Amino acid sequence: MRVGLPSALLNPFYSVFWRIFFTELGVEVVESGPTTKSVLDKGVRHSVPEICIPIKIYTGHVQELLDRGVDLVYIPRFVSIRRGDTFCPKFLALPDMLKCTIPDLSGRMLTHHLTSRNDDIATLSNYQEIGARFTSNPNRIKAAIHAARDQWLEFRRLCYSRDYNCQTANAKLAGGKDLKTAPHPVRIGVIGYVYNVYDGFISMDILQRLTNLGVRPVTFEMLDENELRGKLRRDPKDLFWTFSNKLWAAANMFFEDPAITGVIHVTAFGCGPDSFLGKVLALEALKYNKPFLTVRVDEHTGESHLQTRIEAFTDMILKKSPESVYSKTERIS
Amino acid sequence: MKITFPYMGSTIIYQKLLELLGYEVVMPPRPTQRTISLGVKYSPEFACFPYKVIMGSYIEALEAGADTIVTSGGNGPCRAGFYSEVHLRTLRSLGYNVEMIVFDNFYREPLRFIRKILRLKGKNSWNHVARVVSTTYRMAHAIDSLQKMVEYNRPYELERGSFTKVFDTISRRFEVEVKTVADVRRLQEQGLRMIEAIPVRKPPQNQRIRIGVVGEIYMVIESSINMGIAELLNNLGCEVSRSMYISEWVDHVLPSFLGGRSEAAIAQKGARYLEIPIGGHARNNIGNMVHYREQGFDGIVHLMPFACLPELVTQSMAPVISGDLGIPILTLAIDEQTGTANILTRLEAFIELVKNNKMNCAHARETA
Repeated sequence: MRVGLPSALLNPFYSVFWRIFFTELGVEVVESGPTTKSVLDKGVRHSVPEICIPIKIYTGHVQELLDRGVDLVYIPRFVSIRRGDTFCPKFLALPDMLKCTIPDLSGRMLTHHLTSRNDDIATLSNYQEIGARFTSNPNRIKAAIHAARDQWLEFRRLCYSRDYNCQTANAKLAGGKDLKTAPHPVRIGVIGYVYNVYDGFISMDILQRLTNLGVRPVTFEMLDENELRGKLRRDPKDLFWTFSNKLWAAANMFFEDPAITGVIHVTAFGCGPDSFLGKVLALEALKYNKPFLTVRVDEHTGESHLQTRIEAFTDMILKKSPESVYSKTERIS
Repeated sequence: MKITFPYMGSTIIYQKLLELLGYEVVMPPRPTQRTISLGVKYSPEFACFPYKVIMGSYIEALEAGADTIVTSGGNGPCRAGFYSEVHLRTLRSLGYNVEMIVFDNFYREPLRFIRKILRLKGKNSWNHVARVVSTTYRMAHAIDSLQKMVEYNRPYELERGSFTKVFDTISRRFEVEVKTVADVRRLQEQGLRMIEAIPVRKPPQNQRIRIGVVGEIYMVIESSINMGIAELLNNLGCEVSRSMYISEWVDHVLPSFLGGRSEAAIAQKGARYLEIPIGGHARNNIGNMVHYREQGFDGIVHLMPFACLPELVTQSMAPVISGDLGIPILTLAIDEQTGTANILTRLEAFIELVKNNKMNCAHARETA
């Protein structure tokens, strides 16, 4: 039995858990891998034109897996992972929608509802039914959830250490290269969903580019979950999408933190929640007098526009920062 | 306190409600090109179209002297639940000293909801409030029931424009004359007589074309924004039924102990396609597509604002639903770029298709 894991949407955040869970159940896991032009084209062919780019990409990954001949594609339906919160309607309807837009998917979709009180989705109630499709031994399901959860918690611990982000933590756990974040003294907060920031095809590896320019990007998954939640209670009315709320809270922490010298909002073309989040962030940044840049990414592949803009932004920040090499050399001269 | 509110549907209802409670009301002007331009200028590029229109109409109302906005909120998953927050921040950043009274979900924070009710109640007695609410509630139903009659019968008028003229007269009389429930009843009867007196020529039942209009609530209800879709379709010779009217929306948002009626029955018809509610009216719209098909409608027009989150899901599913049900569905995305000529051309083509489809089906039945 081969199960496909689309490497898109929340996959960078949960792939460790899903991969190990299915492998422990004796299932062969096939991952669609990094987004390519051909994957995106498949997605565009099977989506309505106006839908946001992350959904088009996800659709492409699902089609890609089907083309590779997997028996089932795992498409979970995220319902709520924080009390009172929900997800963007497109997440809530994802399996229903894909059933209609991808004809090949009929009878090959593995789906279930995901509901939990926090990010930790590794509960028996979530995964019992899915596990039962592959084994009749309930203890084996429990053991699989347990093993997968352990690794996922390790993944989160790596992120919290701030030496790793989603991508590098995943790589380390998968036994790949150990890429610690470069210890540049000047830090920039990068606000963006995992499916935009860590999809190299879409964000053109913005984090790596920033590192190369001599600043250290900090992302929401490196911030303590409880602190993030604390930020949300304070606001008059928070958003109601979990990951948008995380970004909103992270942005507020960045704005208040003097060690963070600027904030970049990475958003995808057509993202509904971000249209509001972005506006509110831009207004807040003014209040805190923090440099703020919005980078909107889409399926176009030219990268010079991105490079030019983040170069201008980091130049401005480095020039202002007393710690940077830039100002030191200037002071000497 | 000079109060205004978002412009949606028969705005005289909210105007009446607030006026009868003794407030000075600044009526937001009917959205025009200026409203839309203002809204677009001060809204995020990817905000949905209703957000932009409401932004523009708030600015126009504030220019006219309003200082307080009363609106409804929400708690997702549709973006509309966060409108008020972004509107307020934007208006304040533009320098308007404005206050907003937002009614969120009653069950989520009942105390806050009640506090806001008390605030609006002011010095009015509960008795008076109850009378006012019941009057405006009935007025909403009366106006909507007359409007439904207009949208069913207008395609058959002998003289183009006579239904619209009569309906405008009736609406104006509601606006001016209503003080009590008795006024509502009197005007409704008079309105009914006026509508029934309009000369019409109705073709036999099997030649009538009936179109159901579903979609995002603002697009379906607000005629200044949807290019008067009901009238456009009427003028093309089609009877129109819209899936949403203001009075029904009120029924659905009221808590059940205040006489609210749930839409569960319609939503249930959509459950086959959407397992769980996903916000907005997506599930109801799919339910209504099924419902219209069951009632023998000939075609469905699905309206959505550009990039509307829940309706994009409906749009994605529309081809499959259309195939399953055997009914043509046309999705129209509306935003600030839309022109009437564009919509009209597409509607004309669609209606031709619907007519043809109906004829072929009838023919197939006869020969079978």
